[in-house]
This record gives sequence, C-alpha cells and structure tokens, in this order.
Amino acid sequence: MTICNRLLVIGAVIVLTIAAAAQANETSEHRLLNAGTEPHNWVHHHSTYSAQRFANLAEINRETIGRLKVAWTYALGGTTGGGIWPIAGLEATPLVEDGYMYAIDGWGVLTKIDVREGRAKFVWRMDPGTDKDWAGEIACCGVDNKGAALWGNAVLSHTLDGRLIATNKNDGEIIWESQLADPAIGETITVAPLIVKDMAISGVSGGEFGIRGWLEATDLNTGKRRWRRHTIPAPGEPGSETWQDDHDAYKTGGGATWVTGSYDSKLDLLYWGAGNPAPDWDREYRPGDNLYSNSAIALDPNSGEIKFHFQYTPNDPFDYDGVNELVLADTEVNGDPVSLMLHADRNGFLYAIDRTNGKFVYASSFVKRLNWTAGIHPTTGRPVDYDPESKIQHYAGIASGRSKPKSDLVCPGAMGGKNWAPMSYHPKRAMLYIPVIESCHQITSTVAADDEKPIPREWFTAGGIQQTERITGSLTAVNVKTGKVTYKAESEWPLLGGVLATAGDLVFTGLPNGDLVAYDAENLNELWRFPTGSGINAPPISYAVDGKQYIAIAVGFGGTMPKWWIDATPGLENTNPSSMIFAFALD
Amino acid sequence: MSNFSKYLNVLCRGFFIACALMILPLSATGSDFSAGKAVYKKANCMGCHKWHGKGGGGYGGVASSLRDSPLDEEALALVIRCGRPGSGMPYHKRKAYRGENRECYASTREELGNAMPARARYFLKESEIDDVVNYVSNQIQRRGEPGHSDCVAFWGADAKRCQMMAQ
Repeated sequence: MTICNRLLVIGAVIVLTIAAAAQANETSEHRLLNAGTEPHNWVHHHSTYSAQRFANLAEINRETIGRLKVAWTYALGGTTGGGIWPIAGLEATPLVEDGYMYAIDGWGVLTKIDVREGRAKFVWRMDPGTDKDWAGEIACCGVDNKGAALWGNAVLSHTLDGRLIATNKNDGEIIWESQLADPAIGETITVAPLIVKDMAISGVSGGEFGIRGWLEATDLNTGKRRWRRHTIPAPGEPGSETWQDDHDAYKTGGGATWVTGSYDSKLDLLYWGAGNPAPDWDREYRPGDNLYSNSAIALDPNSGEIKFHFQYTPNDPFDYDGVNELVLADTEVNGDPVSLMLHADRNGFLYAIDRTNGKFVYASSFVKRLNWTAGIHPTTGRPVDYDPESKIQHYAGIASGRSKPKSDLVCPGAMGGKNWAPMSYHPKRAMLYIPVIESCHQITSTVAADDEKPIPREWFTAGGIQQTERITGSLTAVNVKTGKVTYKAESEWPLLGGVLATAGDLVFTGLPNGDLVAYDAENLNELWRFPTGSGINAPPISYAVDGKQYIAIAVGFGGTMPKWWIDATPGLENTNPSSMIFAFALD
Repeated sequence: MSNFSKYLNVLCRGFFIACALMILPLSATGSDFSAGKAVYKKANCMGCHKWHGKGGGGYGGVASSLRDSPLDEEALALVIRCGRPGSGMPYHKRKAYRGENRECYASTREELGNAMPARARYFLKESEIDDVVNYVSNQIQRRGEPGHSDCVAFWGADAKRCQMMAQ
C-alpha cells in the first residue's frame, strides 16, 4: 500500500467516524417513530408518540427502591417574574438523549447538561430574550414552558412571547426562529412542540384572553409555515353550525391547544386536545355546542385537515378546558381488542375513545365528588342531561349564567378533575395512573355584552372563581380494560406535577409541597419519598447511562397554585420557588 | 365655635393648603408615587385589579374596579390591611385576625367563618400600605379610562403594550 493509499484509507476512516458520530447525535424520524426501543433515552415530550410516559427500565424497582438516593442536582435559574407574575416556575419535562439532558425554564431559556458521568455538567445555554412584561401580562396561568423537542441536530422550543426556535444541539446557536403566536391579541405559547415527519406541531395558549385557537405545522427544514388549522371553525366550515350567535363569537371563541398531542404513524393521524370556549363563564354569549372547544381532534398531519373529533362538554359553563393529553393504548375492553385514545378531563371523567374513528367506548368518573351532570350516556358519550334541542346547556342546573349570577358548589372545580399534568399508562398492567385534583368551587358569572368586542390583551372570562373550600388530590389508578378506579393514594394537596410509571412496577409523582413519591404500581402503597425542599409542578422522567437508571424531575413551584389558590391549600403558603433539576439513582 | 376651634380650623386649612402646594408639583411628575407603584406590583394588586385598576374577571375572582371605587384613603387602607370578607381580596397585615385582635371589622377569624378573607402571599408594613393607598388614590381612582400616559407610567416607555396603545 502506497503512502497515498494509506492516507486515503485513514481519511475515509476519519470521514466515516465523523459521520457515525453525527448519526448518533441525529434524532432521525426513524428514531422518533421507534422511541420505545431506546428506553435509556427520553426523546419526546410524552416519551413516545403514544404519550404513555412509561419508562421501560427496571433497575429501580420495588425491591431496590430503598437504595434510591440523590445522584445530582443542577440549578437552572430563571425564576424572575414578569407581567402579572411575581415568579416563574418549572413545568417542563426534560429530554435526555445519549447522556445529554435538555431542560427549559418558564422563559424558554434552554440548557444542555452533560449527565454522562452521573453528575451534571453545563454544556450550553440558549436564552431567547423573551419579553417578560409583554408575555407575562397575558399568561393566564403562570410563566411556564412545558418542554422542548428533538429533530435532526436541532432542539425545538417555544417562548412565552410566541416563537418557535430551532437551536443547534452541538453549540447552542439559534439556527432559525419563527414568530407563531401574537401576544398583541392575547396569544402566548407554553406547550412543548411535537415533531411529526419533518414538521414541528405547535399549539397556542390564551383561552382566557379571547383568542381563536389553532394548531400550526412548521417545516423544520425552512422554519416556514406548512399549515395552520383553527380549532374554532369560520362560518361555512364544518362545525360552524355549533356557533349560533349573531355577533361572530367564533372570532374570540377560545379552543386553545396548550398541551402536547400524540401521533399514530400507522393511521397517520395526529391527535390534539382543544380547550375551553371563551368567554369561560358566559355561555349565553356563545349559544350552541361550540365545536371544537373541549374536544379531542384527529387531524391529517400532512394538511391539518380535521378527520374526526369527540367533544366532552358542549356549551361549557364551567371552564372544563378539554385540552389534556391523549394517551394511545391498544388493549381489550370487555374482551374486544380496541385501539384507544384515553383522556382524563377536567370535568372528572376518563374517556376511552376509539382512535381509528372517534367513536365513544366508555367514560368513568375518577374523582370523589362530581355533581355538574347526572352522568355520561353509555352509548353517545354525551352528558345524560345534554339537551340536543337547546342552544344553552344546563346540565344538572348548578351552573351560573345570565339568570343566575352565582353558581351552586360545582364539582369538580375548574382546576380539575385533572389539569395539564400528564398521566402515565403501564401497558403490561393496562393501568392508568392519573394525577387528580379533588376540588369544588363556586363561579360568579358576569355578562359579556354581545355588542362589545373583547379588548385585546384583556381577560375575557366573563366571571371569576370563589374557592370556598380546601383543594386536595390523589393519585388514582384505573383499570383501562374496565374503566374502574382500583386504588387512590390520597394527598392533602392537589397533584400538579404529572406521573411516571416504570417497568420496575413503580409509579412516581411530585407533590406541590416538594415531595417526590414512589408508589407500588400494584396497589399504590407508598414505597419511597424524598423532600426536594420546594414545590413540584413538573413530571418525572427516567433515563439510563451505561445501563444505570436515573429518575429526574424539575423542581420549581410556579403556575397558578401559589397565586390564585393559596388559601385553599394550607401548608403551601411557605413553599418558596426554586429552579432545580434533581436526579436520583441507586447508591 | 370657640376661639380654640377657630384657631384649629385655620391651622388645619393652612396646613392642608401648604401640603397641597407641596404635593402638587410632585404629583405632576409622578415621581411621588413610585414607592406605591412598587408595592402595587410587589403585593401583586395587579394580579386581579390589573395594571390599570379596572379589575374584572379572571382566575383571581371578579375583582372590583379601583378606578370606579368610592372608597376614601382610610377605607382603602382598611381593605388592604384586613381584606374583604366574603370576597377574594386577601388581608395584607401580618397581625390581622390574630387571636382576639378585632381591629378588622371588629371580628375574629372564628366569627367570620367562611367569609374569612384569604391571607396574602406578601404581608405589607404600615408604611407600604400608606404608599400603595397614596398611589391608588392619586394615580388610579377617578381617572377615567386608562390611556397611553398611564401605561407608560406603569410599564415604561419601552413596553410593547404601551406602544400598541399609542398606535
């Protein structure tokens, strides 16, 4: 072999090595579709496209849990307030890919952390320079960001002031950014993007500010819009017949999309929840069922066309914002195999929907007190007291409205049932673990005058809440094959963080007093507890490096609880904000 | 009227005019109210009453309009100290409703029962209550619809929301 040939061979080896390294670092479509085959990583917001948030790792299990100790901590920063919010919180699910973590704070500051050696080492930080007062004044429910997404060599993330940003994984430099939402009309973004094919799917927040909700697909190669689909139809579009007013209520109809959806690649369907109609508490302003508010929507991801939907609370008088995640699960119900999407709604019912066609399978209550309806019809899935002949729904007759300024005690309250904090599905057990908020409250309605348009950036709720009693919570286990609640682990506080079930037959959740707790997946007996010293309103994840399993969680109390509900959660008034990532491993 | 009363009356009027003369130039620049505005932000009054004080609906409840409020300074201070029973307005004085203390509506915590106001996340000192009352009564109450200058006074000239109002 000549020197020249040798150099060629060496050169080829170097090129191949670099290519292989780049390949390992690339989050390809193939890897995103098969995320379940790399359980050491957490590459989607909800872990996989099915949004089960199940970690197929078992080193930490019911036998070894006693040895679970803090492995490392890392201070993210970013607690500064802005707008109407005195502090910012952490709600994000961190992502982990091949020993690197990507964590994001409430202002969209993204940090890459090297966790390969069992400790946290700073790599880079991307600060998008969010306009804090501009965005924080119209953030209904705190300075929050639910998380990022991975695609190719980029990290995709949103900012509260409405941008989608692609950041280079290697050096933290911004590749491109695109302004999606417009804070001038009350729009913000708190949701984590979902990557489908070569698109980022983004949702919008602002259902309390009279926005008209949408989903948007951005071409990841160019940063340009592929499509935008409004969740509230314009006149003439399917669903517009459910807006029976004479003053264009659809233009400010709500239907925000602030919780990340899921995707079935075999059906090529994108599933996403649409939130409450606006104004929240004056349903006479918006007579009709108000599609697609409070609905699960199935869309063609290539065009954004709505293929089918299922609505939970038509003409909603309670702010039962139907935005919560849709967990895809294949199991049996009454012995029949079904492809389900599962949704635990703020209205207190768990819905099982056939995700191939949107047909109702069952609904069952997962809260202790529920009085807004007498029940859900077993074949239609509508509330039994829904009146198809009426433009205004009264349900059990306890709602406030124009003829009844103050409601009776309404259960569940608007915080839940279940709020955005994600549930987890254990596929081998066919069990769902739901973070439940047990609450009731009263609503005072005001009239949103028909001839008055909402003022941009002003609240458009037509009323408010009076929290007259304590809010508590529970971790609730439901057998998906039957829809029956099997166990409840009671909590003196609402569950605001989300749940992780693992192949070690453990169920983890964080509490607002700062305790991270592990339960036995069989019976919800508490097996382990660690006080992090602040409040938790973010979901736990699991990852592994060199075969060693970790549990990680963001700890930074923010959101609505310390502000709106502090009197209803005694004991939390002295919980201080923080901004930390905690990771745990066996010692 | 006794001579003493006349004397007192004249003294008070003179004092009032002197004070008014001292305050007026300051209020014209707005600088006199910066301490009160800082308390308005820190105590998160704007969380429910909004930056402009018009209140309205939202997750904090239905807050009353401070712009339309008929309360005088003494009554404003009382509501800030003691909260408003039966509403979402919290109490901001640390010692309010402690034990047999009846300085708030001549009532104890037990007597108010379900109407007992919430506890504020941040307690205020008497001097801070004076500052915020001064701010509300001079910069918010009875000032009509909030305009561009009000916005700039609150958020600063660079704030996008104020630039929007100027258009």
